[in-house]
Amino acid sequence: MSLLRRPPALILVGTAISVAALYLGAWWVPFPVGLLLGLLVPRARFSIPAGAAVGFVAWTVPLVGEQVQYGLRPAASSIAAIMGLTGAADLPVALTILVGTLLGASGGWLGSATRTVVRARRDSARLVPNRPLPVEDSNRLAPTGHDVPAGR
Amino acid sequence: MRFVNLGAAALVSIAILFLSFIGLGSSLPALGPAFNPVTGAWSIAADASSYGSQTLHLAGLQQPAHVVLESNGTAHISASTDHDLFLAAGYVHAKFRLFQMDLLRRQGEGRLSEVIGKAALDSDRFELQLGLLRTARREWSELPAGDQSRAALAAYAQGVNDRIDEAESRHQLPAMFTLLGYQPKPWTPIDSLIVKGDMTQTLNFTDTPLVMALLSKTLGPDLTSEWFPVLPPNQQSPYDPGPYQPKAAPAPVEGMRVVSDAEATSIADLYGRLRALPAGLIASGGASNNWAVAGSHSASGGALLAGDPHLHLTLPAIWFQLSMDSPGYHASGVSIPGTPMVLIGHNQHIAWSLTDAQNQQTFFYEEKEDSAHPGQYFWNGAWKQYTTVSYDIPVLGGSTDHLNVRISVHGPVIGERGLSTSVWWGGSMPSQDLGVLLRIGQAGDFAGFRNALRDWHSPTHNFVYSDDKGNIGLISAGYYPQVARGTPWLPMPGTGEYDVTGTIPYDQIPQVYNPPSGVVWSANQRQVANDYPYYIGTSSNFFDPGYRANEISRYLAQDKKFTTADMVAIQNDTRDYLASEIVPVLLQSLAGETLNATEKAAQADLASWDYRMELDSPAASIWWTFWQQYLSSTFDPWWKSHNVKVDRFEGGNSNPLNDALGQDLEAWTLRNPTNPVFTLIGSAQNASDVMKQAFHPTVRSLESRLGADPSHWGWGRMHGRTLENLAQIRGLDYGPQPDRGDAYTPLAAPDFPSTHGPSWRMVVDWGAGTFQGVYPGGQSENPASAWYSDRVATWWDGRYSPMLAADAAASTAGAVSWSLES
Repeated sequence: MSLLRRPPALILVGTAISVAALYLGAWWVPFPVGLLLGLLVPRARFSIPAGAAVGFVAWTVPLVGEQVQYGLRPAASSIAAIMGLTGAADLPVALTILVGTLLGASGGWLGSATRTVVRARRDSARLVPNRPLPVEDSNRLAPTGHDVPAGR
Repeated sequence: MRFVNLGAAALVSIAILFLSFIGLGSSLPALGPAFNPVTGAWSIAADASSYGSQTLHLAGLQQPAHVVLESNGTAHISASTDHDLFLAAGYVHAKFRLFQMDLLRRQGEGRLSEVIGKAALDSDRFELQLGLLRTARREWSELPAGDQSRAALAAYAQGVNDRIDEAESRHQLPAMFTLLGYQPKPWTPIDSLIVKGDMTQTLNFTDTPLVMALLSKTLGPDLTSEWFPVLPPNQQSPYDPGPYQPKAAPAPVEGMRVVSDAEATSIADLYGRLRALPAGLIASGGASNNWAVAGSHSASGGALLAGDPHLHLTLPAIWFQLSMDSPGYHASGVSIPGTPMVLIGHNQHIAWSLTDAQNQQTFFYEEKEDSAHPGQYFWNGAWKQYTTVSYDIPVLGGSTDHLNVRISVHGPVIGERGLSTSVWWGGSMPSQDLGVLLRIGQAGDFAGFRNALRDWHSPTHNFVYSDDKGNIGLISAGYYPQVARGTPWLPMPGTGEYDVTGTIPYDQIPQVYNPPSGVVWSANQRQVANDYPYYIGTSSNFFDPGYRANEISRYLAQDKKFTTADMVAIQNDTRDYLASEIVPVLLQSLAGETLNATEKAAQADLASWDYRMELDSPAASIWWTFWQQYLSSTFDPWWKSHNVKVDRFEGGNSNPLNDALGQDLEAWTLRNPTNPVFTLIGSAQNASDVMKQAFHPTVRSLESRLGADPSHWGWGRMHGRTLENLAQIRGLDYGPQPDRGDAYTPLAAPDFPSTHGPSWRMVVDWGAGTFQGVYPGGQSENPASAWYSDRVATWWDGRYSPMLAADAAASTAGAVSWSLES
């Protein structure tokens, strides 16, 4: 649970898992990683960028590796040509990174949104038996003619 | 609000996951697997760099084998057993050309729609009707268990599947699989036979009888007979001048007949259907050269051989260059990925190359049917049930298409509107071509070569031969079908009297060995003289007009000792033989004509021209434009007055129909200038009048297109060449770039831009012991690889690369070696 309190570490671990998964053909892993981030990390505003960061970094790192190892330009030009975008070699790179980023971000968003709803339902379920109403509300809700004990 | 947020997140996630997992059919691939930066399309980057020295483990290998790759990717495979040799060849082909191989088998098997979608359905339906798959299955089933080609096909399939397994496990499938979202099925020997069938079809399946019927219907039988005769109207140079046996024609053919309205309607429909098919499914003329010079006529004292088959020029190319060595097989040359043997090349003792023979192997039959006999046709005096075969064609993004094919004794019914028209096609006859190639590779002399070719049935090819003893030969091997009677150049009644009854005996097909001239040549021309006793096709519509053959023959007729340089010169020859005949006549016609300044300049260009279609030649542009104009001036009035429905320009201006009319025009211009054909044109009375009339618009047309100054009308401004990507991805084409040659030059470059031409050039000099070759393209289909198009510049410039033996190749700079182990 200590990891949950360290979001950067979570992102790092999620990214590492996502990169490893890419080598196994499991390109979709940024989505569940983002989803888990959204479900587990309490701060909603954190989940979407965190998921996006996982997808972005996970799908960028191999491209950087290929650039260093082989040079990406011939492959990018060829893929652009296959896509009917001859001469726009940057576009396949951008599209690739975008796909990874969107997978992570959408996972993060869905996880966060789910968490919010689940938590709200859980909270509201707990609300009735355990939590007394505030004084003012109690007074307002009290049946006519019945006094609320002073000092509450 | 929280639920709205959840709903929106869910919707967006579903959309992203849908696009990532499934995509949008044929318009957008599944983005996740396609763009996975490690295993998706980007893997082409790693693949392009994966050809270094390494040890590879192949299932099924009996002994260790070895592959040397030259710095340009030419592969040299050595194995201790024949089985391992073909297995390794399968692996190497698949390593470099798996997508091409899959595309070729899918085309022949009618399974393109499964991965491309509805756009390929017409092609798939036609292929399944025609029956390449049925023929391939039959060929495989007829191979005896111990047959060496059966073993080779099986070993080859194992090698291909080894590569498929390896690529899948390493996520290295070619990018096109990833982008199209499918994985290749295991390779089978039948797939190799299908690939062989594809080539047979593209070279050999013609719709010419349909064209002739439509011409006969509109022009009338008399004009059609005169303009499209059986024997060539022009002067040609057959390589086998006779004498022939037997002396009398064994199968009489009849004159042109009247085509009925019902026939014409039905034929027009079928013709339209075939014309709408993708290019390459119907043979539309050929253009290949080969020749040989005997040792007695060469400077080196050894025989010379040259071959340049002309095909659709694609990237990746149809060819893969390799040498193959095992105890039972040695050959070096080019192979077609998907098939296990060298198709054109040499072994230690003999060399061979081929051109398309162009004889008629496609015959159409109109089946007699009536409503009282449903599902039957009348044949040989009785009603006979059609055999019916059913196919399901899966369609990407659509529902499965169901196809029933009716088959008569003649072949499959491919035209069903109006009359049922079936087709007898030589390519549907089992032809164990791969076994023949295996035996050619094993042959050591002409007798072995000739015996091997005895079993080659389709496509009919002119096989040129030379050997290390100075001998040369040429055999036009294949089936020459003979009909009992009738008009085989038109669709014929299917009632039995006009059936194909047999083929010309092997000993009587066109062939020569060590002719006194010391040279042999073929360039798709009619191989035999006019007194050859058998019908082999109409010269106008099946054979080439003969200009390349005439030019090659002219060159080889020189009284000199030929060298490799001569062979190279002919392969790169841009001299237009037809121009050399017609331009002098044109200049004579223009002698008394009033010409403006531009026309005079054009006339002067023609007068000093050497008839070479070179990039900077204005005369080349003037000649070609004039010839097209002359054809139009002569024949367009007839087309219009007779309401001819066949487009003269269907398939480009060098199509067989235009070529046939060109032969007539050539013959009439040179020997019959007052032919009545010329009188339909205004006040014209003869060829000279029409030539003069055609010259003025020629110059006007060039002026408007290329400017007022004729010195700037270089051929390269009009004419170029493109090497087209096989998957029709325009961004992966090479060109168009200005290029030399035209449809009639030995360096063939028909159309604008030309996409057809010398797909492989090979020159062998047995005396000097040199073997060289080049094809436009590269060994790899991976567009990110340096081997995708690295040979194009060499080819374009008319240069060659040495065809090395494996040991010599291993010591060249940049060579790498693969050790293959089980």
